[in-house]
Amino acid sequence: MAITQSTTIAVAGSTLDDEPGTARAFWLATENRLSVAILAAMTLLPLAELTGRTWFGRGIPGAFVVTQQLTLWIALAGAALAARSERLLALSTPLLMPERWRARVRILTSAVGAGIAASLVVASLDLVRIERAAGETAAWGIPEWLVLAILPVGFAAIGARLVWRAATDARGRGLAALGLLLPVLFASAPGLKETGVVPIAALALVIVTGLGMPIFAAIGGAALLMYWADGTPINAVPVETYRLTTSELLPAIPLFALSGYILAEGGASARLTRLLTALFGWLPGGLAIVVTGVLAFFTPLTGASGVTIVSMGGLLGPVLVQARYSERSALGLVTVAGSIGLLFFPSLPVFLYGFYTNQPFERLFIGGLLPGILLVAVVAGYAAVQGWRGGTPRTPFRAREAAAAIWLAKWDLAFPIVLLGSIAGGWASGLLEAAALSVAYAALIECLIHQKLRAARDLPRLAVECATLVGGFLIILSVALAFTNYLILADLPTRAVDWVQFHITSRAVFLLALNLLLLVAGALMDIYSATVVVVPLVAPMAAAYGIDPVHLCIIFLANMELGYLTPPMGENLFLSAYRFNRPLAEVYRSTLPYTVMIAIAVLLISFMPDLTLWLVRWYDARFPS
Amino acid sequence: AQTNDPIRIRIGTVVPKNSAWHDTLEYFRQEWLRTLGPGFDIRLISGGQLGDEDAMLLKVRTGQIEAVGLSSIGLSRIDRSVSCLQIPLMFDSWEELDRVRDRLAPQIERRIEVRGYKVLNWVDGGWVYAFSKQPAATPSELRKLKLFTSAGDAETERLYKGFGFNVVPLPITDALTSLQTGAIEAIPTVPLFAQIQGLYKRAPHMTDVRWTPLIGGTVIDVKVWERIPAEKRPALIDAAHKAGDKLRANIRRLDPVSIQEMQKRGLNVVTLDVAARASWQRQAEQAWPRLRGEYCPADLFDAVRALREELRGQRTAPARPTGR
Ligand code: NA
Ligand code: NA
Repeated sequence: MAITQSTTIAVAGSTLDDEPGTARAFWLATENRLSVAILAAMTLLPLAELTGRTWFGRGIPGAFVVTQQLTLWIALAGAALAARSERLLALSTPLLMPERWRARVRILTSAVGAGIAASLVVASLDLVRIERAAGETAAWGIPEWLVLAILPVGFAAIGARLVWRAATDARGRGLAALGLLLPVLFASAPGLKETGVVPIAALALVIVTGLGMPIFAAIGGAALLMYWADGTPINAVPVETYRLTTSELLPAIPLFALSGYILAEGGASARLTRLLTALFGWLPGGLAIVVTGVLAFFTPLTGASGVTIVSMGGLLGPVLVQARYSERSALGLVTVAGSIGLLFFPSLPVFLYGFYTNQPFERLFIGGLLPGILLVAVVAGYAAVQGWRGGTPRTPFRAREAAAAIWLAKWDLAFPIVLLGSIAGGWASGLLEAAALSVAYAALIECLIHQKLRAARDLPRLAVECATLVGGFLIILSVALAFTNYLILADLPTRAVDWVQFHITSRAVFLLALNLLLLVAGALMDIYSATVVVVPLVAPMAAAYGIDPVHLCIIFLANMELGYLTPPMGENLFLSAYRFNRPLAEVYRSTLPYTVMIAIAVLLISFMPDLTLWLVRWYDARFPS
Repeated sequence: AQTNDPIRIRIGTVVPKNSAWHDTLEYFRQEWLRTLGPGFDIRLISGGQLGDEDAMLLKVRTGQIEAVGLSSIGLSRIDRSVSCLQIPLMFDSWEELDRVRDRLAPQIERRIEVRGYKVLNWVDGGWVYAFSKQPAATPSELRKLKLFTSAGDAETERLYKGFGFNVVPLPITDALTSLQTGAIEAIPTVPLFAQIQGLYKRAPHMTDVRWTPLIGGTVIDVKVWERIPAEKRPALIDAAHKAGDKLRANIRRLDPVSIQEMQKRGLNVVTLDVAARASWQRQAEQAWPRLRGEYCPADLFDAVRALREELRGQRTAPARPTGR
């Protein structure tokens, strides 16, 4: 099943248009400004630290820690924005339902989702109370409880939104509001768990999730239920959410996403298309290679969120059709290529995987290079053959045009080099500063050099859009951390390893089973949820079968890439259906050949570890630690 | 309300599996299970799976886990008095540490108990040395490198900044990654940890200055401790102490062995001449007055110093007939 940000990609901020001057418009603008301010601070603090350290001999004490704390704030503020514009990730099942059921189902899923949000408010208030009593300080003398206070506020905003958007009439909203009694029910009847209510509640949770309740509520609800059943205080869920603020990596994620949005919205895609056409347009089916290349370049920059399909599909799709590609092959290629660069720098799923398994990310990127190229080659190759057979015209190679296109795209091409160089050269201390630098660089290219964006008008709009995306994902991550933490408290990973080792003795059988498991997980979950739910379980197993951790990462991510396309419901399929306004069945048909070929490539990647490890070994030998 | 529920004690720790520290906690867990019998559920969750020491203390405060094995970093987050046993270049032998610690432990344990934790035992981690990417024979050479400190430990951060070090606060779980990216270039840590985590591969120079003995201990939520039947508590404390003593002996044996093991795998021990050694000692002692008060409570600071002088007096004084 699949997940999609229901794609009213009509920017979150556009709800502002409704009635200027009203209290509602003021509140919406305040929400937007909060997110813009948080992202601005997260960008400027590391930049100030970096420039201060480099040119004035001293940085800003605590800049890093404050930025870490702001990660929690952008998670909650962004999630509230996502709830407001109905972009909390959810299964897209309602689209498959008959029209007349949808309204009722929506009230039901909203009620349960709001109830879970309300329970999270209760749990976070408890945490705020405990930390207030403990008197801990976060940074700059700011008390920790004040940082944590965003949790109940944010969850309350999400819950209120779920109730409000459950229906358009008072009756429907009233019914949905009944869900808010859920925490009262559970808190007032501690004896309830002896009555066998836990499995029933778990089943109910699965059903409403299947019916389209937001994923964050599904995972958060499952975590709340498990802690409650176990007798552990449910404040354990927000305690894990608070761990968002101790990561060195997570604060970089919103910033990379923001720079990706700035580049994608600005003219970078047009410049790259021109460049790749000049370089590869002469090949048979060259345009297909160009489209794959452009999307593979932007997917990692935009958090593998499918945003590439939305922002660039509109540009590239018509170009393909004009060049006499059939509508179907154009649709298939754009849909598939929207996740194809997943393994390349600076792809967020790779960083997240490194974070979760405590591995250095550069080895993961190096390991992913050849498998990533294989996946791109498979897709580009198939599409090129289609184009060649269809007799699509080619663009003759002209050195002058190639040179002009390279010159025009030079700043875009320098982008990954600047990023990597700032880290490798030791100028930026770590990923956060490089990410802040990437925002400044992208803004510089688009606003000053090419002047495709106007800073005052466009950057806040893109920041709101970015906060919405990142909030939708961080909120899932935060509840998934709580879910994983429960598994650890219950010692499940160790027991699962024992069970599998007892039942599977052959490494090859294990690899096949692993691929099958990951395929199902990728079809059921988005890549971020799958990472936090599945990786803690499979990583110790794979280690027991002697699978290299870098190889496991690439196997995992390649499967997740497939999971974007797995019918009946992969997220790219839905995004594409929305974006191009096509029936799902047509999108399935158009992508099926690609899906099959990518599946074969994934098996190759799994059973040929050298494809991944060859470069890693080269790197380890070249740069001995 | 749930008097019939089994008493559950989940012990969190950052120490990795297959380490001497882990073996001790496991021994301790077994002994407690044996002493307490059925109706008790004791689990050990190691390897930092529950987060760093700060995160685990939050988990004890919020009732998610019941006990935690900590280094002095976590212990001094509970009460600053523990930092008094971690003053740089104060002790130069295990014997000095033991004598001072044994005298001050009751006082420190009382202070920790006021904060809601019962100390079950004290353990050692080994001597802290600086491991660095480039050799650093003198304080000024180490000042040129980005030095790890534990995130959230503002006092130690201030201590190192006071020495003029270029500190980067990070969670300990990120140490290895950050050495690789160059976000940090040096890390003060004990040989066993450097060996197990492979830190020495990324920071292959060890400055031969014993910064301080790293201490640690196991604490349990006082509320949970008081739920345990009073008649069983002495046996539990006894088992915890026994485990602690075993570990101390073990660590003291393994500390030099692990340096030798790392040397076989490429670790370079940066040896110092007399002048360099004196400069470390002098610069540390110059900083002591600044540590008295904020880093370590003044009364305990004075007590530690007085006890040490007393010991050194006994040691360096010519042999005299016993009795005074
Ligand atoms: Na971390
Ligand atoms: Na998926």
